[in-house]
Amino acid sequence: MPKLGGYAGQLLHVDLTNGLVKKLPLSKEACELFIGGRGRDAKTLFDQVPPETDPLSPSNVLCLSTGPITGLLGPTTGRVNVAAKSPLTGIYGNSNAGAHWGAELKYAGYDGIIVTGKASKPVYLYIEDDLVELRDASHLWGKGTYEATRILQRDHRGYDTRVAAIGPAAENGVLYGSLIFDYWDAAGRAGMGTVMASKNLKAIAVTGTGSLSVADPKRYAEVVRDAWQAVLEDPGFQTQEHAALGTLVVLGLGNAQGWLPTRNFRETVFELADEVSGEAFRDRFSTRPAPIPAGRACLSCPNRCKRFGRVTSGKYAGTKGSIEFEGAAAFGPKCGVGDLAAVFHAYMLSNDYGMDCISCGNTIALFMELHEEGILSHEDMDGLDLHFGSADAMVEAVHRIAKRQGKVGELGGLGEELAAKRIGRGAENYVSTVKGMGTIGTDPRVAKGFGFGFAVASRGSDHLRAHPVFEMIRYPPGVAEELFGAKEAGELGKYEGKVRLVFFHENMAAVTDSMGTCRFMHASFYAEYPIPEVLAKYVKPRGPVHSIKYHEWLSAATGLNFTYEALMKAGQRIVSLERALNVRFGVRREHDTLPKRFLKQPVPTGPFKGEVFSEEMLNKMLDEYYDLRGWERETGLPYEESLIELGLADVADDLKRRGLAATRIKGEEASPRKGRR
Amino acid sequence: MRKLVFHPERCTGCRACELACSFFNDGVFSPTRSRIRVVRIDEEGVDVPVGCLQCDSAPCMLVCPSPLAMYRDEGTGAVMINVDACIGCRSCMLICPFGAINHDPEKGFCYKCDLCGGDPECVKWCFTKAIEYVEDEDLRRAKRSEVAEGAAKVMLEAARLVKPGRG
Repeated sequence: MPKLGGYAGQLLHVDLTNGLVKKLPLSKEACELFIGGRGRDAKTLFDQVPPETDPLSPSNVLCLSTGPITGLLGPTTGRVNVAAKSPLTGIYGNSNAGAHWGAELKYAGYDGIIVTGKASKPVYLYIEDDLVELRDASHLWGKGTYEATRILQRDHRGYDTRVAAIGPAAENGVLYGSLIFDYWDAAGRAGMGTVMASKNLKAIAVTGTGSLSVADPKRYAEVVRDAWQAVLEDPGFQTQEHAALGTLVVLGLGNAQGWLPTRNFRETVFELADEVSGEAFRDRFSTRPAPIPAGRACLSCPNRCKRFGRVTSGKYAGTKGSIEFEGAAAFGPKCGVGDLAAVFHAYMLSNDYGMDCISCGNTIALFMELHEEGILSHEDMDGLDLHFGSADAMVEAVHRIAKRQGKVGELGGLGEELAAKRIGRGAENYVSTVKGMGTIGTDPRVAKGFGFGFAVASRGSDHLRAHPVFEMIRYPPGVAEELFGAKEAGELGKYEGKVRLVFFHENMAAVTDSMGTCRFMHASFYAEYPIPEVLAKYVKPRGPVHSIKYHEWLSAATGLNFTYEALMKAGQRIVSLERALNVRFGVRREHDTLPKRFLKQPVPTGPFKGEVFSEEMLNKMLDEYYDLRGWERETGLPYEESLIELGLADVADDLKRRGLAATRIKGEEASPRKGRR
Repeated sequence: MRKLVFHPERCTGCRACELACSFFNDGVFSPTRSRIRVVRIDEEGVDVPVGCLQCDSAPCMLVCPSPLAMYRDEGTGAVMINVDACIGCRSCMLICPFGAINHDPEKGFCYKCDLCGGDPECVKWCFTKAIEYVEDEDLRRAKRSEVAEGAAKVMLEAARLVKPGRG
C-alpha cells in the first residue's frame, strides 16, 4: 500500500499473555472508512470482542488510538482515544484525552496500540521508536498516577517521555478507573483504566524522535492557516473566556443560565457557585494569574483551556494540578460543597488514584442524598457523615472508594447505577445514569439538546458524543434555523430543532474524535465549515470568512479524497457502527431514555423552574432521530439497508446472523431479540 | 538588530512553534528536528521555550574547527552553519549552553536556528507572544514601561487618587 500522509503507518499489537509485540500495517480501506482514533477503535472492538466478553477478563481488548491529524500542526492536534468493553456499563466504552502522549506515540512510529490478554505479573510498556518492550512494573503497582509518571520520566527520557498510567483505584477494581496522561489529562469515563488494570498493565511510557509527513504540504499549510484564523476569529474564542478561566468558566455560566446540577441533580442553581467558579480559582489558586495570558495547552492548541493551580495554605496546602469544569462540578455543586480548596483537593486525589472524577463525584453525591433521605443509614456509611456540603466527608469518601475501604468503598467503587441496585430500597430513583453511565455537569431538563444527546449517546449519559453547546450561546436565530431547521435549536428549554442539532454534532464529533482533534474547535467554538459562512450572512464579517474545513484538512494530510459530504457520512458510519456494537451488547430503544428524575421531577428553582424532560417529547424525538440514522423506530436496531449504504456490509451481515438487524424489505420481518440489560 | 526572545511565563506549552519550525524548514512534523523546543515540566505546570539566542560571543563559533563552517549573517545577526563545510563533529552542539544545536546523523552535519532569514515561523504561530522577535530597545522599553506603570499605580493609590485593587 502506498504510504498515506498524516498516519505513522502501523499499529502495535501487544499480547500480554504471551508477552509478544507485533507491528501491523494500517490498511487504506480502514483509513478511508473509519479514519482513525475512535472510528478505528470501534471497528477493532466490533471485530475482536464478542458480545458475551467479560470486560475484566483477558479476552477484552483495550485500544489506544490516535488519528491522522494527531501530532501535526493545526488547531488542537493532541487527542488520543481509548476504547474497550466497559466494566462500568457493560456496553461499548471509550474515552478521549488531550495532552501530548498521542503525538509522542506517532513520533515513535505508531498510530495506535491494541492490547490483548493479561500479563502474569504487573508490567509497563516502554516504547522508544523501534524499541518496544514489556518491563516489570512491580515497583510501580500500587503507586498513584503522579508518582508512577514521575518515576517513569526519571527512569527514561525525562520530560521527553510521555506517560499514560493507571492508579490504585483501577487496581482495586473501582469500575470507573481512568487512564491519566502526562499527569493531568484523563481518559476518565467508562472505566478504561480498570480494563488496563485487569490486564496487569500499569503504564505506557513513550518517547518518539521520528517525523510525520503529509501528502500535500503546500495545501496543508493553506488549510491549516485558514483553520487557525477561523479559530482566532470565532466569536466564542474572541471573548477569551476559555483563555482567561479555562473550562471552569462554564460553572458560572451554567449557574446563571440555570442548568448547573446541584445536590445530585435536585436543583439547577447553586447558591455557592461564586465560591467554586473560574474566577475564584484564578484569584485563589492560579499559578498563572492575570494578566499573563497563559493557561496550558495540549499539542498545537491556541485555546489553552487547562488551568493550573496550587493551594498554598490551609489543610489542603500542597494540592496542585490542572482543574476542569466537569471535575469541579462533580465535587462542588453536585455534592453541595462550596469550599474550593476541598473540591480541588478531592478532584486531584481522584486523578492521583486514577478514577473518573465525574463518576466519583456523582457517586458521592448520590450517597449524600440517599443518606439525607434515610435510605442509607449512618451504619451503612460506616459512620461517615455524608451529607450535602460536608467537604471533609467527601474527601474521606474519595480515599475510601479508591481503596475500596468499608461499605462506602465497596459500594462506591461500583458507580451510581450498580451501587443503587445493590442498595435497593428505592435508591434507583436517585441516580442520574443512562446505560450505566452517570450524567455530567449539565441538567438535561434545561438543556434539551444535551439531554437528548445523553439519551442516545453510545457510551451512556455523556456530553462528548454530541456536545451541542450551540443551545447555550447566542447565535442569530437565523443561523439555527438554517442549520437545524428551527430557530429554537439555539435556545435552552426548547425541544424544536434539537434532534437535528444532536445529529449534526454527533456526526461531527465522531469525525474529529477519529481525526485526533478537539471538540472545542467545532462544538464550543463554531469555527467549522459551514457555520462561519452561515453566520456571515447575519453578522457582517470584517474581512474574508475563514473556517475549519475538516474535509480539506484530512485530504491534504492523508492524500485520501474526502468531500464534506463524504466526511459527514464517515461520521454517520462511525455512529452507526457504535450502535451496532451496542446492539450486540443488548442496547435497544428502551435504553435510549433518561432517568426518572429528569422525566418526572420538575426543576424546583431558578430560571427554568417547573421544567422536566417530557417523556412524550423524548419519544417523538427518538422517532425522528432513528429516521435520520436509519435505525428502526420500534427497536432502535439499525436497518440492514442503511448499514450497507454506509459501507458496513460486514457489520450488517454479523447483525443479521445474530438476528439483530432490522430490515425494510416487506414480508421479511426482523426478529429483534429483546435487550439483555 | 532584532532578536528572538522567550517568555516562559507566557508559554502555554502547546509546541506549535516546534511543529511550525520542522514543517516550514524540513517539510515534516518532528519536534526532534525543531530548532526551538518547549520543555514541559508537567508536574509543576510550567512550560519553557528553549532555543538559540544568537549569542554575541557565540561559543559554537569559537569552538568550530572547520574554518568555513560557521559565520554570522550580516542581515539578521543569526549564527549560521554552512552545511557544506560542516564536518559533523558536533563540537558546537556539545558546547552550546542551551542545547540549541541539532545534528542530522543521516546527512552528517549540524544545523541550527537561522531566524528563518529574518521572518521566524515559530513567532507567527505563538499566540501568547511567548516567543517574540524584537529589537532590544523595544524589549527594554516594554519592561521599563511595565515597571513604571506599576510604580505609578502604587503612588496614585498612596495618594488615594485611585481605588486599590487587583489591577
